[in-house]
Order: sequence, then structure tokens, then C-alpha cells
Amino acid sequence: MAQILDMPLFNLADSWALTLVIFAPLVGMVLLWLPPPGDDKGIRRSALFASLVTLALTVLVVFQFYSFEPAVRQSRAYAFTCHVPWIAGTAGDSATIDIAYRLGVDGISIWLLALTAFLMPLAIWGSFSGIRTRVREYYSLMLLLEVGLLGVFCALDVLLFYVFFEFTLVPLFFLIGIWGGSERRRAANKFFIYTLAGSVLTFAGVVYLAYYSFTVLGTATLSIERLIQAAQAGHIAPAVQWWLFLAFAAGFAIKVPLFPVHTWLPLAHTEAPTAGSVILAGVLLKLGTYGFCRLSIPMLPNASFELAPVVAVLAVIGIIYAALAAWVQKDVKKLVAYSSVSHLGFCMLGLFSLKVIGVTGGVVYMINHGLSTGALFLIVGCIYERYHTRNIHEIGGLARQMPWMAFFLIFFTLSSVGLPGLNGFVGEFLVLLGTATSKATSDLRAAGPLGYGYVIPAATGIILSAVYMLWMCQRVLFGPLKEPANTPDTSTGLTKDLTRREISILVPIALACVFIGVYPKPMLDTFKVAIERNVLRDVLPAERVTAETSGLSIPADATQDTQSGEGSPAEPDDGVPAQPADPPRDSAVLASLTDLDTTGGPKHER
Amino acid sequence: MSADSYLAPLAPELILLIGAGVVLLAGLMQSGRRGPWVSMLALLVVLLAFVTALRQSVPDGQAAVLGLWLTPLTFYTRCIALGIGALIVLINWYQPVTEERGEYMAMILLSLLGVLLTASANDLVVLFFAIELVSIPTYVLIALSQTDQRASEASVKYFFLGAMAAAVLAYGLSFLYGVAGTTTIHTVTEGVATSTLPSGPDIGGLALVGVLLVFGGLAFKVAAVPFHVYAPDVYEGAASPVTGMLGFVPKLAGFIALIKIFSACNWDLPVVVWWIIWIVAAATMTAGNVLALLQRNVKRMLAYSSIAHTGYMLIAILVGPVAGQGPMHDGVTALLFYIAIYGAMNLGAFALLTAFRSQGRPVETLEDIAGLAVRAPLATLAFAICVFSLMGFPPTAGFLGKVYIFSSAFSLDQPHPFHGPLIALAIIGVVNSAIAAAYYLRIVSAAYIGAEVDWPVRTGGIPVRLGLALCAIPMLIVFVWPAGLAGEAQSAAALVNRSIQPQSTQVTSLAGQEGREAIPTGFNAQDRPQSESHPPGDSTGSKTQH
Repeated sequence: MAQILDMPLFNLADSWALTLVIFAPLVGMVLLWLPPPGDDKGIRRSALFASLVTLALTVLVVFQFYSFEPAVRQSRAYAFTCHVPWIAGTAGDSATIDIAYRLGVDGISIWLLALTAFLMPLAIWGSFSGIRTRVREYYSLMLLLEVGLLGVFCALDVLLFYVFFEFTLVPLFFLIGIWGGSERRRAANKFFIYTLAGSVLTFAGVVYLAYYSFTVLGTATLSIERLIQAAQAGHIAPAVQWWLFLAFAAGFAIKVPLFPVHTWLPLAHTEAPTAGSVILAGVLLKLGTYGFCRLSIPMLPNASFELAPVVAVLAVIGIIYAALAAWVQKDVKKLVAYSSVSHLGFCMLGLFSLKVIGVTGGVVYMINHGLSTGALFLIVGCIYERYHTRNIHEIGGLARQMPWMAFFLIFFTLSSVGLPGLNGFVGEFLVLLGTATSKATSDLRAAGPLGYGYVIPAATGIILSAVYMLWMCQRVLFGPLKEPANTPDTSTGLTKDLTRREISILVPIALACVFIGVYPKPMLDTFKVAIERNVLRDVLPAERVTAETSGLSIPADATQDTQSGEGSPAEPDDGVPAQPADPPRDSAVLASLTDLDTTGGPKHER
Repeated sequence: MSADSYLAPLAPELILLIGAGVVLLAGLMQSGRRGPWVSMLALLVVLLAFVTALRQSVPDGQAAVLGLWLTPLTFYTRCIALGIGALIVLINWYQPVTEERGEYMAMILLSLLGVLLTASANDLVVLFFAIELVSIPTYVLIALSQTDQRASEASVKYFFLGAMAAAVLAYGLSFLYGVAGTTTIHTVTEGVATSTLPSGPDIGGLALVGVLLVFGGLAFKVAAVPFHVYAPDVYEGAASPVTGMLGFVPKLAGFIALIKIFSACNWDLPVVVWWIIWIVAAATMTAGNVLALLQRNVKRMLAYSSIAHTGYMLIAILVGPVAGQGPMHDGVTALLFYIAIYGAMNLGAFALLTAFRSQGRPVETLEDIAGLAVRAPLATLAFAICVFSLMGFPPTAGFLGKVYIFSSAFSLDQPHPFHGPLIALAIIGVVNSAIAAAYYLRIVSAAYIGAEVDWPVRTGGIPVRLGLALCAIPMLIVFVWPAGLAGEAQSAAALVNRSIQPQSTQVTSLAGQEGREAIPTGFNAQDRPQSESHPPGDSTGSKTQH
């Protein structure tokens, strides 16, 4: 493998690899126009090919990322960085504006990048039977959506981030509006306007940030790296942080969606075509949490700390409320949609514990939710294509008709409710652990904002989620057979049970779930490094003191060094003994938890 | 100086003027046949003027001649007016349906000539004439554009209100003359700066009235509330290609004139005027967007949208020039950048309406364009790009336009009295752009999602579609590479900035002349942390001088 990675192509790739990955789907769109009109098969294949090429490129990038020695990886905050001036301005000799096409990935974004590139071919493949009209436009929009999503995870400039973030709305608007269900126009409009209404405030925040960075740094820079440094040095005034936090949260919270502003999501999900739902739940919702994690928390540490309880309370309310709402849904798809709201609440809870364990949990949760919920939406799509209904009361006992589907539905349900050994558990466990131990202090890390009070209702949410998901499974899969008249509809070439195509789509996701459930270490390692360095560097007050006493222009690693040098009980250790009796199955997770520390070791010693 | 050296810099204007005559004659000669070659001739004239304007070296503010003063602002305005003017000719290629194409094209050329003269006018009287030269041909154009009654009604309505606005403008300019004692804008500025003006007890009030009246007259040209009421009716009555032109050409002239008048006042506006403009800006964008939401007719919708865009641009006018902080922090640069983009994207939206007919008439309503994407994917794509650009959505130039405008609004520093109000206005602006998204989205979703009612028949030939493409493609190019246009806009704004920034403490202002009622605003924003720190309120110094 090492030889492949040392090929000249990928040494060069340091600067433009990400550009290649992001815009590969755009190039792929050209392929869609090669087959003659009407040749739907050719168009579908071209789209799948384009997304697979993107996946291949992403995999190469991921491998190369991993091929860096940990030391090398830690010596720089982001890998594959590139910098092309975009909006620039000068006054005399000095640059007054520095907004650029900046790309780069760290341990967090590389996995979200991989998730996007992984889900997209599956979503495209999954639409082969469902999409019959305006095929070329459909796949063009899917690829366009992929460009936007990949771009968000690579952007290292706030304005560029915002551009990609906003841009994803356009293809999804058309995907829902053209190929959606009966209320598609309303759903598409609501989705677009609702999310836009929030993100225009984010836009105002971004613009203000550019101006503010001009007043404090002398350059209107929107470089995420430089702004985080400025925040570390205490350049961003607390009052400004509050406003910026609120402005950013307006856009991100709607996207997540956080409790009071989640109402667009169930409608959008129910009306979206299957692949739209998969991508919406799998990746698009993560843009919100990713925004919090990449921009709000590191750049606005004071405000994040002070507002964390508010966010956490909303997250907890969302967890319980959406779980209860999911419980009473008749529409299977809506049920899964509400479960998304509930699960994203966990994700937010983890992020705002502001401790490495909790944030790691939150990020793992993003990946896991993308896999399990994406797969659940695919399965619901399979059911719908055959029975033309998603009403729980109209279908039942399908396990005998569709054993493969039953297997996958139960598998992903269990993954979604957090069965130990599958992926969901890792994230849930870390989130709860991080939240519970958030208050714990050591001599160097100050107390986090959250505590046990948040864990109890959140844990209730887990129980609820098990209840409604399993109940749904029971009603759909078991009991007496119930099928609407004239179904299953096999006219479009589908078989009664899942076709080989559909199974091949679900198997990779299932494998990924098992892999993450059993061996999350490679992922957690990179998360830990990235989180310590790019997210939580300076969030808790005590750390800030350390940073200030050790000088502002210290190399990026220095703060970490001093900390670990003096206080060997880094905070994961505080957490591990505190955890309640562990189920025997989670030994792998425990191992990875301890690894979470030991892998950090070499770095600390250097 | 020989006649040559007077006239050479005015080559683009002369080409337009002579071209207009030639086109007029050509139209007469070929009566009976309606070949496209009159349009071709008009296009050639505009392109020739465009190339000439581009090839001229950017003037560095040479001495004024013939009441004209060539500055980088002139250069910039010429380029965008002629560049977009070429697109206007393309989109009007098959207009009018009757046989007066020679007159019609000549009117377009004369109107463009008016914009060019506005940009170089250095005399209040020349400015007035130039602005009227922009407007008067448009009355004719509206009447010629369609044969039905609506067009005549629109034309008459526009003419009467326009005449009224012209009277208000002339009245205002006469007050300014009264205050300054000269009609030369250049001298007005210098005179103000060196405080050699005849000063008396009343002059402050007179100047205030003058500036207000001028603003009122120009508010009509740019369609700002409350002088916007004509816009929807006139825009709807005129044929789509004319409407596309109406949304841009008078607006450009109006904003250039505003820049000139305000820079003659050193941008140190009396607080009353400042707040009036603030209210007008807020009301304009809100009224434009909210009323657009209620429309079913795309042309009316776009008419209200063009009112809303005036509101955004007024934000930049309020910010004014903030010298030396790069394009994002200077209101005039942001305005000049935005208006060029706005011209193209607005025109693109109307180009689509020109290109298709439904039920025997040009497409106008949401129902008419329903399902157009299936029928004409490329044209609809270009249209969608323009509409998303109007919405201010990435990845289009309209987004960067919004970035520039709104970031300019954030550029006054904390102690500045207008710091808070401008931020409030920017917030109103972004909230408005969310409202605007609702109706722009309705247009796009009609074209893409709506079920076809009646398949529109394509009418506009290659020129119209070319015009549509040339409106849409730059939206993407400017998004990727804004530096070119922004750089030009910045250098165009530079002299505006420089002329209002003479040696610091001697700056006095109209506001200063007015004595007590004018709160010192320090509008020249020299109180930046980077520039040599300067107490807010230049006019404080001037007051002590008096």
C-alpha cells in the first residue's frame, strides 16, 4: 500500500487532492450528457461511475492521510491544505482582505468526507428503480449535491464554508420538489425557506466576522485557522462572541435540527425521494453539527461555554420530544425522520459537553447516524417501492415475505438504538460518558458546562428510541401478513424480497456498522487528535490560562505538551473509572477508550 | 487646447451619438422590410463604443472640459453601461413588433448616451440634462415596445411622473447652486472643502432642502419608496426586453448622480438627510420584497424585486466612501460592484420572458413559465442562474454583491453614531433577502417543478438566447473571480474617496456650514483603527473655524 501512496500523483496531491475530490462529481456530470436522451440505463451507469470515481479518490486521500506518521499528522493542523486568493483587497502595501479558497482536512472532516463519498454511490445506485422521469436531471442534481457536501467538509475559510453550506440547498430543493411525494412542492419550499431564513443570519454573522477580524487583526480574514488562533489569543471579545454564536446557531441549529426549529425536517423527509432522504439524513444534517464543531466551538469558546447549557437543554428536550413524536407516527418514514431529530440531539449534547470524550462521541455519532439512518431510509424506500404505502397499519408480517429486508431492518434498527457491538453504541456511550464527566476537573482542565443532570433524560431517550424502533419493527415485520391490495408491485422489475442490487447496497453499510462497532480505534484516534487541536484547544477556561501563560506565539503543540507533561491524568482518565458497570460486550470500546489516551502519548512525549 | 484634445476622450459618447443618428436613418431607409440589420447596426455601434471606452486609458481626473470631468468613475460606468448596453440590444433584437426599429434602437443608444454623460458630468446643469437624456428615450421605448393599451398607459404614466421627478430634481439642483454659488460640481466640492463659499445664516437650511429635493428626484429614477409606485405598472406595461432595460439604465444613472451629488457634499450628510435615507432604504427593500410576494405575474414580481434591490444599494450609499479599506469596506465600491452584477442578472431574467411566448403573447405569469425546464433546459438553466443570483445565492455573483454591500454596512466603528443603525439596516437587509428567496424560489420552482400548462413556443432567436447566456455566464465567472470587477469598482470609487478626503482637519462640510442642526457625523470614516486615528466628527473642527 505504501508504494501506491508514494506514487507521484499523490505526492503532488498535497495541495490539490481535495479540489480534485470535490469537483470530481462535477466533471462526472459531463458524463451524464454523453448517452443519448432516453438511454436511462446509460445515464444511471454514468452517474454511478462518477460517484464511484469520487469514492475512489476519497479513499486514496483517506489512505494517504493515514499513511502520514502520527507525528507528521500532528505537526500540522490540517492536511492537504490549499490556498488560492478569492476576495482580496489591499490598502497600500498591506492586505486588508484575505478571503480565500482554502481547503484542508483534519481527523474529523476526513471521516465525514469519507462518509459522504461512501453514501453517495449507494444512494445513486438505490435510485435505479425508483426514478423514472427526468433521469438525467436527477443524477446531475445528485452529483451537484455531492459537490456541495464534500466542499463543506473541506472548506477552511468561513465564507467558502458558507458558500458550500448554502449551495447544498439548491440541488436538494429540486430533488425534493421534482421527484418527491404528493406534497413535494410545499415540502421543498418549506425546506428551502426555513433553512435559508436561519442561514441568512449566519451570513450576517460571517460578514460581521470578516469586519471584526479586520478590526482586531488588521486583515479581514475568514481563515478558520487564523480565527481560531485569534480566539485563543483572546482577541474576540465575549460580547461579540455571543452575537456571533447566536448568528451561527441560527443557521446551524435549523440544519441540525435542534428542538424548536426542527419542524421542516419530518415534512422534507417524508416527501423526499429515497435517495434524497438518505443524503438528507446521512450527510446534510451533519452540516449543522459540523458547523458547530468546526466554527462555533473553537472560534467562540466563551460563548460556547456559557451557552452550552442552553443548547444542551434544547438537545435534551429534542431527544425526548422527538422520541415521543416518533412513537406515535403511522408513517414509517416519518418515524425514522423523528428518530433523526432525537439522535441529533445526542450529537449536540456530546459536542457541547466540551470535553474530548463527549465531542469524540458527538462526531462518532454523526458518522453512525449517517450510516444507520441512511440505511433505514433505503429500506423504507424498498418497502415503499413494493407496497406504495408506508403506513404502519397497512403493512405487517413482512418478515415471511421479505426475509432479507427483515434482516437488514432489524440489523439497522439495532445499530440505530445502540446495541453494543454495533456502531451506534460507541457514539451513544461516549456522548453519555462525556456529558456525565463534563463537570470533572483536573488541575489543568476546568469543569465543562454539562453534568449528570443531562444524562438522565438523555438516557431515557435511548430507552424510548429502543421502544419505538423495535415496536415499528415488530409491527412491520411480524404478526399476521398484511399487504395492501395488488401488492407487492413487481412491475418495475423488483422481486418480492430485496433484489440483489438492493442487498449489495445495504451490505457495505452493514459492514461499516460492524467495523465501527467492533474496531473504532482508527477513527477515534484521528478524532482525538483533531478535536484536541482544532476544536477544544481553548474552550475551557483553565486551558486558556495555560495558553496565555505559555505565550501566544507558541507552536501549536506546545499547549498540549505542557498540559500532558504536568497533569498526566488527562481527562479521559477521569471519566473511565467513573463509568457504571459495563456490559461485557463493550470491551472493544473500552480498549479504544484507553487507546484514546495512549495514542496521544507519543505526541505528548515529543 | 485644440478641439481634438477636447473630443478625443469623449469618443464613446460621440460614437453613440453619431451611431444613434445613423441607426435612425438606417431604420427609415429600410421601411417595409424588417430585417435584423438595424439591430445589428445598433449592436455594432454599442460594441464600438464599448471597445473604444475600454481602450482609453483610465482617466486620472484631468481638468474638467465642457462641463464634463473624466474620472475613473466615468471609465467604470462607461464600461458597464456599454457592456450591459450590448446585452440590452441583443435582447431587444426583434423589438419592436411594429416597424419603427430604427427609432427604437436609436432611443436605446441615446439612453445609454445619457448614462455616459451622467457619469462624466461635472456641472449641475449637465448632470440634469444627462439624467433627462436617460429618461426621455425610455418614454418612447415603452410606447413603441407594445401595441396594446397597457404600453401606452405605462408610457404616459411614466412620462408624467418622470416629468414631475425631473422638476423636483431641477428644483433641488437650483438650491445647491444657490448655496454653492457655482454649478460646477468639481468646484462645489473644492469650494466646500476650502470653505470659500458665501456663508450666511440661511444657507444650511437651503442646502438641506436642496439635498433632499435632489434625493427625491433621483429616488424616482432608482425607484425607491415612496417614489416607486409607478414601477410595477410601468414594468408590466412595457414589453419584457424594455423592462429589463428600465430596471437597470435609469437606476445606474440615478445612483451615479447620487454619488456625484453626495460627494459634492463631502458625504457628510446632515443627520436628518441621513436618517431619511435610512428609512427610505429600509422601507424600499421591505416594501419591494413583501409586495413581490403577493404577485403572480413574473414581470410584476421582478419589478418589485428591482425596487428591493434599490433598497440594498441604498445601504451602500449610506455607508459612503470609506477610503482605503478595500472593496468590502467601502460603500461606493460595493455599490458600483453590485449595480454591474444587478444589471446583468436582472436583464437575464427578463431575457427569458422575451424568449418565449405562450397563448399568443409573451410569457408573463408563473403559469406561463410552468414546466419550462423540460421544454428548454438550457435557457431555463441560464434563467435559474440569474434568479438565484438575484436571490443572492451562492455560487453566483449576486451572492458576492450581497457580501460586499452588507460588509460595507458593518464598516463603521463602534464609537461612530451610525455604527448601530447601519448594522440594524444590514440585518433588515439579510432578513429581506430571506423573504425575497420565497418569491424568487416560486419563479424557479414554477419553471422546474410546475406541470406544464401550455408549452411556450420559442420566439427569441439566437440573439436573445445569446443575450440570456451572456447574462448568466458572467454570474458564475464573477463569483469565481471577483477580483477583476471589484478592482475596477474600487479604482472607480477611489477618486470619489480622494476628492472627499482633503487634508484632514481642514475638511469642512455642508453639514458644517449648517451650523448647529447638523450633528457631526465623521462620515468620512477616518476614525478607523488602521488609518491615522482621527476623532469622529470632522465638522467639529470646522465649526470652531466659523
